Amino acid sequence: MIPLSHFMLISAALFCIGLYGVLSKRNAIMILIGIEFMLNAAILNFVAFSRYDKFAAGGQTFALFAIVLAAAAVAVALAIILNVYKYYKTIDPTRIDQLRD
Amino acid sequence: MDTLTQENISILALVAVLLPLLTFFTILFIPGKASRGGYIAIASIAASLIISIFLFSVVWNRQPVHEQFEWFTIAGRTFQAGVLLNNLSVLMMVLVSGIALLVHVYSTKYMQGDPYLYRYWAYLGLFCFSMLLLVIADNLLLMYMAWELVGFSSYLLIGFWFTRHTAVLANRKAFIMNRLGDLGFLTGIMIVLNQFNTLDITSLFGDNGLVVSAVVENGFWINGTSSMPDVWLNVAGLAFFLGAVAKSAQFPLHTWLPDAMEGPTSVSSLIHAATMVAAGVFLLARINPLFSADVLTVIAVIGAFTAFMSASIALVQNDIKRILAFSTISQLGFMMLAMGVGAQSSAIFHLVTHAFFKCLLFLAAGAVIHEMAHLRDKNNLQFDTQDIRLMGGLRKRMPVTFVCMLVASLALAGLPLTSGYLSKDAILIQSFEWAEGRNGLSKLIPYSALITSWFTAFYISRLIFKVFFGELRIEKQFAMKFSVHEAPAAMKNVLVVLAVLCLFPVFSSHPLLFEDAWLLKGLPVADTMTRVNAFHTIVPAAVNIMAVLLIYLAYQWYGRQKKMPAFSNTALFRFAGNQWFFDKVYDSVIVDGIVLISRGIYFFDKVVVDGVVNLVGRAGVVLSYLSRWTDRNIIDGIVNGAAYLTGQTGRFFRHFQTGRLQHYFVTMLLILLGFFIFKYYSGAI
Repeated sequence: MIPLSHFMLISAALFCIGLYGVLSKRNAIMILIGIEFMLNAAILNFVAFSRYDKFAAGGQTFALFAIVLAAAAVAVALAIILNVYKYYKTIDPTRIDQLRD
Repeated sequence: MDTLTQENISILALVAVLLPLLTFFTILFIPGKASRGGYIAIASIAASLIISIFLFSVVWNRQPVHEQFEWFTIAGRTFQAGVLLNNLSVLMMVLVSGIALLVHVYSTKYMQGDPYLYRYWAYLGLFCFSMLLLVIADNLLLMYMAWELVGFSSYLLIGFWFTRHTAVLANRKAFIMNRLGDLGFLTGIMIVLNQFNTLDITSLFGDNGLVVSAVVENGFWINGTSSMPDVWLNVAGLAFFLGAVAKSAQFPLHTWLPDAMEGPTSVSSLIHAATMVAAGVFLLARINPLFSADVLTVIAVIGAFTAFMSASIALVQNDIKRILAFSTISQLGFMMLAMGVGAQSSAIFHLVTHAFFKCLLFLAAGAVIHEMAHLRDKNNLQFDTQDIRLMGGLRKRMPVTFVCMLVASLALAGLPLTSGYLSKDAILIQSFEWAEGRNGLSKLIPYSALITSWFTAFYISRLIFKVFFGELRIEKQFAMKFSVHEAPAAMKNVLVVLAVLCLFPVFSSHPLLFEDAWLLKGLPVADTMTRVNAFHTIVPAAVNIMAVLLIYLAYQWYGRQKKMPAFSNTALFRFAGNQWFFDKVYDSVIVDGIVLISRGIYFFDKVVVDGVVNLVGRAGVVLSYLSRWTDRNIIDGIVNGAAYLTGQTGRFFRHFQTGRLQHYFVTMLLILLGFFIFKYYSGAI
């Protein structure tokens, strides 16, 4: 039996890798992938915690929801990225600095 | 006559009064030659005289005419203005307009060639208007207005030769002195108004009027419902009397009259005879019932003192007009004395007779001065045309003037067959009767009046003998022969008319009994009028015997140049010659005192008031400097500091808004992390 802390360590590592990707990548697609990493870290936690929920397996249900939501969010995000590309002719987030007044 | 209603009579009186005013405006506002206006002035004053005589014939010894209309309402109190014609006012109207007409006619020659002649006529018009208005005014306020106008027009006339500095000083002095008296008049008016709620002369001072029916009880002066402490009765009487003192040049406000001689002689004549100075006596006659016994005594004392003092001054003057001026003051003193001893009608009688003979004296003196000035200008000499020491021997050269002046002098001295005898003896006799049965001190009054009348006989005969007897002294002085002529016909005829008016038949059928005078019968009669005691014989006899002796003495001294005692160096002589030092005392006490006080006040103003003001100013500057500093540094500092702070905060937070997605993410992450860390450590939230 693998202890819960291993799942959580892997989840934290995944989260940190995702976070790093989100903060450091110069490609919007890569940022999306970083976000996916972080989401997966959360989902991994949900699944791991669901072992302790004997009756309803709520964690797994949350994981399913989260996967669906992540897929929907990525679809929206890709659409935004496509539109950003159409407008700026780039998807490098460091060069898109008009997200201010 | 049905048409002669009260209303018509009053309108006629108004016309008579307003005609001279019309002259004034006509002459001033219609341009033309500098000498214009003489005929208008004479015509209008003649018309006034005719109307006055007519009014006199209608009103004298009949029902008085009193017409009034509503004047104005103030504080719920309605003032009536109107015309009051009783014996006193119609008599004064005839007198004023008559004398004024004669003076006008005289002036046509006397003032001929004056560069501002039209102003002279205009001012005369204004003066006659004010005096006539004063005479017919039926309430005290209207009377006061006329009174002020008289003062003002006399100011214009006295200063008529305004290029002379002395004339300007004289008219200013006359005006200021009169203003002092006017204050008294006004005070009296206010007291009377406060007590009786009306200023109407008839209802106040008439028979059974408010003043008569008001009583003094338990120290209060009570009139119906209103009352005030009885001291106010005396104050009111004295206040009115102060007005009369100033107008009639009585002690202590008499000093303006001698100086007023700076005006043309014809003006002096008018002012002295029937008009301005008579106004004071007239006022006293009008408001006579107001005076309490104490006030009457004061009036008598002031009158007697003034008469004596100015007669003594007249003894030693050398200026012909000044002698006459002091004589006027003295005679007015007699009238005041008569008022004070209750011989009101005698006072008015003397006022009338005095008007004629004093007018004549001045006009005759004017004729002499005119002739002297003529000599001076023709021969290009320099001498004082009014100095009697330079005259003499004019009896043969100006016979008509001499005879007229002689008649007037006899009247002034009070010798029989003249009008002056009647009126002056009436006053003397009544003052003796008044003093009878009083204490010893009040006997001083009739005796001083007796001595005064001897003085009068002496100074006027000195004048006559010096001017008309002996030889013409300027001839000796300049060692030249002069040809002196009679005055022009216009002047001469006026003198003759006046001389006739100075004789007894004008006033009384009997030359020696003043009780027969028709004039006295028309005025309120004093109970002493009947010949009940010896005074009626002794006093005239004493006056006249002594007067004749004195005239003889004057003839010996001045007429025949006999040796006379050298009293011109004695102290008394100098005392009188300097007019009892009144001017000097006034100058050194009042004028210098006021100057000193003014200096003090000036100093106070300069140092204290200005100092305070400057201090306040400086404090203001300092305060405003402080407030500027505070404003700049503290208020603005706070405001600017707040702005700066906000700016800095804004600048700080601006760094968080880079517009880059990842920076926002980091920020969000840091805040989230911070929140969790904070929550972990505080454990409370």
